[in-house]
Amino acid sequence: MTTSIAATIRERVARIETMPSIPAIFIPLLELLNLPVERVKLDEVVKLVSYDNTIAAQCLRVASSPLFGLAKSPESIKGAVISLGLRKVETILLTCCLSNAFPAKSWALDPTLFWRHSLGCAMVCRKFSDKLGGGDGDKAYMAGLLHDIGLLVSCIAFPKELTAAFALANQEQTPIEEAERTTMGFTHCETGRALAEKWHLANDMLQVIAHHHAPEQSEGAQPLVALVHLSDLLCRMRGMGYGYYERRRVDWVADPAWAILQKEHRNLDGIDLVRFTFEMDEAIEEVFGLVSTIFGGTAARN
Amino acid sequence: MITGMQIATTMPSPSKGGGPVDPVFRQIRDLVYKVCGIFQLEEKLYLMADACGRRMKQLGVHSPREYWDLLTVHSSRDAEIRQLLNEVTIGETCLFRSPPQLDALRKVILPELVEDKSKQIVKRLRIWSAGCSTGEESYTLAMNMLEESDRLLKGWTVEILATDLNDRSVETAKAGIYGDYALRSTTDYFKRKYFSPIDEKKLQVRPEVKKLITFSRLNLQDDSRMLFMKGMDLIFCCNVLIYFDGPSKAKVIDHYYTNLNLGGYFFLGTSESLFKLNDKFHLIHFPGTIAYWKPSLKSGKL
Ligand SMILES: C[S@@+](CC[C@H](N)C(=O)[O-])C[C@H]1O[C@@H](n2cnc3c(N)ncnc32)[C@H](O)[C@@H]1O
Ligand SMILES: [Fe+2]
Ligand SMILES: [Fe+2]
Repeated sequence: MTTSIAATIRERVARIETMPSIPAIFIPLLELLNLPVERVKLDEVVKLVSYDNTIAAQCLRVASSPLFGLAKSPESIKGAVISLGLRKVETILLTCCLSNAFPAKSWALDPTLFWRHSLGCAMVCRKFSDKLGGGDGDKAYMAGLLHDIGLLVSCIAFPKELTAAFALANQEQTPIEEAERTTMGFTHCETGRALAEKWHLANDMLQVIAHHHAPEQSEGAQPLVALVHLSDLLCRMRGMGYGYYERRRVDWVADPAWAILQKEHRNLDGIDLVRFTFEMDEAIEEVFGLVSTIFGGTAARN
Repeated sequence: MITGMQIATTMPSPSKGGGPVDPVFRQIRDLVYKVCGIFQLEEKLYLMADACGRRMKQLGVHSPREYWDLLTVHSSRDAEIRQLLNEVTIGETCLFRSPPQLDALRKVILPELVEDKSKQIVKRLRIWSAGCSTGEESYTLAMNMLEESDRLLKGWTVEILATDLNDRSVETAKAGIYGDYALRSTTDYFKRKYFSPIDEKKLQVRPEVKKLITFSRLNLQDDSRMLFMKGMDLIFCCNVLIYFDGPSKAKVIDHYYTNLNLGGYFFLGTSESLFKLNDKFHLIHFPGTIAYWKPSLKSGKL
């Protein structure tokens, strides 16, 4: 990418008035997600959420949905954490938080699809990280959740251009990042990066957002970026993509990301990828359920 | 909302309409995966429980625990696992059984093979349907190839070899007569174009489809005959190797690797896995399905 395009994007992202400012509880929530569960103090979560009534209410509504099968609807955030567990509640909070920051008025992309893909990728990242062992599952989860945040930025900063890119991708059945490059000259990786800089996200998250389609180009956090890259591909091949058929084949082991992970994780080749794929299929219903309870509505698979 | 209800009934337990499934069945599922590589998803675990139930009844065994002992005690183990497999795979075959496989074939693989082989003088594709049973898979492949004969495959010859161990199945396959059940996933378009009615209940495959296929009896364990099956571009061996033990399975897979041309693909059934059986094949993901690929020279990834 030339410096002039980078400058245009940064300028446009900075200038746009509707560009979301960072939700107040976002960074503290990310930090909590980064801590081991046993070190998170329940009271801190409760206090944090009480700053934002909309999000607290949304969280309770989701927690009461039949998806979680609780006999009694929780009446407080504290109650929700006790009956659902901290990690589930944190995911709900983060998702609500982001979706409020980017109200889905006329997105180029069906919000239900976007969240299925993001939550699905988050889940796959955590499972993958757990399989590799020694890693940080919660950080991987967060990286998966945020990786495509640039798509939301582009929805707001470049609505017409992104709509055209999706139209092309749908028609040609090509990957969205290629269609963006063809029609716009840059991708959601660049717009995402501009937002990550504006929000002062930690460097590893920034690297994921900016390089998840070419992990070998990331500066730092390469194994994490590679993990997100592979998980993103897997989601797209297993019914949690961007809502259209992608005419492509994915060869995980021949992907440069695989070599990056291999350096870090000796047991990578011992993972049964097919079984991993089947297990992830199992969890899809859960992701779909979570998204439809948070946002309502339905959309086609893919 | 309907989605909410579906979630409520499918999420909490894998049993259809009953209480939670006995954990022993999960153990049996894992055992079956280990022995023959067929995996039942958590949500389909009740199928495994049903299959075990039928066997338990036949044997007069009362508890899942006792049945587990039969599956693990040395003297009865192999025979009983085979019996259980018969139950698990009972009556599963039909035409158009796996749409994602057919999509991958037509949208991704054929264009790739046609391009790779475009410089060859003889434009010919060879496909093998190994363990074809009563021919449903073989005819499905033939019809899909014919659909491409005016487009991608213009000027190409397609040969389909369809083999099975069971003489009676091969005879039935040659006749190509199917009822509603086998045709339950076949669209009217295909029924009208490629079948003729023979009475109110049954349709017969037309001669122009049959012309593509050669049916014959072949035992996949017969090494000398396996050596003659050369020059394949695609091999389909779905739900067959589940009956084989580890070493014989590995042997068949090695044959397939030799039988395939460089750049050829090999498909297993939708819930089977090759894990640890062969490390020369590359695992390839397509939307909704996986296949194994024999790397081509130009890929540089041998
Ligand atoms: C469940 S059917 C699969 C039919 C079809 N491929 C499908 O997926 O719908 C399994 C078939 O494998 C065949 N089979 C089992 N052992 C075999 C062997 N050693 N050689 C060839 N075929 C065999 C059986 O005769 C049976 O027809
Ligand atoms: Fe992306
Ligand atoms: Fe993505």
